[in-house]
Amino acid sequence: MNEISHEDPVDQQLREAAPYIDDNGFTAGVLRQLPAPRRSPRSLRGAILLAATLLASALAYLASDGGRFVVVAMERLATLPALWLFALAFGSGILVMIAGVIAAIAKASELQS
Amino acid sequence: MELTDADLVARVLVDDDQHAFGELVRRHQSSVRGLLRHLTRTDLALADDLSQETFLRAYKNIRSFRGEARFSTWLYRIAYNCFREDTRRRKEFVGIDEQQLQAEQDPQVSDPGLKHDLMHALSLLPLHERSAVLLCCQNGLSHDEAARVLDIPLGTVKTNVLRGREKLKRTLAAWGPD
Repeated sequence: MNEISHEDPVDQQLREAAPYIDDNGFTAGVLRQLPAPRRSPRSLRGAILLAATLLASALAYLASDGGRFVVVAMERLATLPALWLFALAFGSGILVMIAGVIAAIAKASELQS
Repeated sequence: MELTDADLVARVLVDDDQHAFGELVRRHQSSVRGLLRHLTRTDLALADDLSQETFLRAYKNIRSFRGEARFSTWLYRIAYNCFREDTRRRKEFVGIDEQQLQAEQDPQVSDPGLKHDLMHALSLLPLHERSAVLLCCQNGLSHDEAARVLDIPLGTVKTNVLRGREKLKRTLAAWGPD
């Protein structure tokens, strides 16, 4: 805590005597001299994720006899009753939503810290 | 809702957001330039050059701002360091004599009025007292914050503020009711 009393007339006079200095292009001058902004980490992260997804998809396609596993899985899904299909879609949606909430909380705490 | 300084600093840190940094400059330019104008004894051009240097250093070193102190306190420390380095370069850090001081005065200071007398008296204080008085009495820093800005012991800050204020009070006494 400041030991100086805020009622002190000298302090009061000094504060009153300090004029607000108009910007008059000062901020623009500072911004002009800043180094170029570095590449956004957010876009870099997105590019890495996209590249990793494409690579993994290509590997899965090659390793599964041209995507044969997809045809097999679709055939199995087609034999399931409608209620099971609905439950599967609903469960998948819930999982994605939980993942989204966790990511949002992590980002918020990162910004706060 | 207006963003706090901490929010703006976070944007600069996470996204390198120069608009957010611009807002920080806009908010603090007056107090930083005002402090440096007093420290440089109303050499406006030098004060603005040092202010610009202060904000550029702040941008480059913003990762070292940990949020333990107020952003303004951190800026004052950079500003004071810029000033100190400049005066070392100019070898004027200690002892500007009275004649030289008079020659450096802003023409406004000779105007009549309490405000100008006070500013004149402030500019006559030795640097160590002037900087302590400016930070604590005008800019509202605590003694502890001022000690960190000036990089001197807390007791020295208290002594410098006390002496500086006493000298200014003597100036103000002429404007008293008696």
